[in-house]
Amino acid sequence: MMARVLAVCRVVLGALFIWAAVTKLPDMAAFAQDVANYQVIPAALVPIVAAAVVGIELLAGIALVIGVMDRPAAAVLAVLLAAFTALLAQALLRGIDLRCGCFGGDERASWWTVVRDLVMLAAAVAVARGPLPARTNVTNPA
Amino acid sequence: MGVLVRAVLLCFVGSVLGIAGNALSPHPARLGIPVHASAESNGAACQDPRASVARVSVEEAKPLCIACTAAFVDARSAQEYAAGHITGAVHLAPGQPAGPLLPKLSAAPTVIVYDRDRDCAAADQIAVLLKSNGVRDVRVLTGAWPEWLAGGGPGESGTCSLCAEGRQ
Repeated sequence: MMARVLAVCRVVLGALFIWAAVTKLPDMAAFAQDVANYQVIPAALVPIVAAAVVGIELLAGIALVIGVMDRPAAAVLAVLLAAFTALLAQALLRGIDLRCGCFGGDERASWWTVVRDLVMLAAAVAVARGPLPARTNVTNPA
Repeated sequence: MGVLVRAVLLCFVGSVLGIAGNALSPHPARLGIPVHASAESNGAACQDPRASVARVSVEEAKPLCIACTAAFVDARSAQEYAAGHITGAVHLAPGQPAGPLLPKLSAAPTVIVYDRDRDCAAADQIAVLLKSNGVRDVRVLTGAWPEWLAGGGPGESGTCSLCAEGRQ
């Protein structure tokens, strides 16, 4: 049962990240601006970080959906999601009004997006850890 | 091969893939050019690629001015307009009625609005007003009047005769 839940998490998470990357690719300049607006990454590094993030999202998403290198992919996405959550939270706490940049488009950053990222983070961590070993019944010889 | 090593490998290959994808994007991020936050960069707010009104740069607008294939609208104050404006531009500041200028502006293939500030706030306001009044191709000049001057765009001084006629 647990393995099935993890498989569903893996495929859904992978599909979400493929979608996230595909929606950003048509306008990478806008995504780079979204990254810059978080006011954390040095301006000179913003374009390359934006390009790298989209490529990693796409590759990790594909790996999760097809089930190849799924645990490393989930670990990478967990790190990314932890970073996204921290970036969103710091921007909201600093009162910076900005677009989320999560799935392209004009979605504003909000505490809802933080919660959504935390849910995806939990799923990524679960997939990265893999199924827990089955509990063995030890009979008392006495 | 451990999970960590494979994760690092995935990040590396993903980064290369992302840079390749960026190169193929219709609107790529320019990798060698620093990108500043809109709130920090002078004029960056005006150059937001997702602004509701299309943008046009001074380099793109100059040939349109010289060939008279675009109408220009100055959204600064009347005094600033009289002191110097883009050749052929009409004056329409926020708060003024657009009605008298609409026949001329609606007939132009492209209307370019500019103001004094590089955040384009007044120009945006006028551009939205014109669009809501049926003017189809309205754009805002990035860099505003200061960049037009710095770029050597054609200019003239004096009051707006067409505007005066329309407002009588």
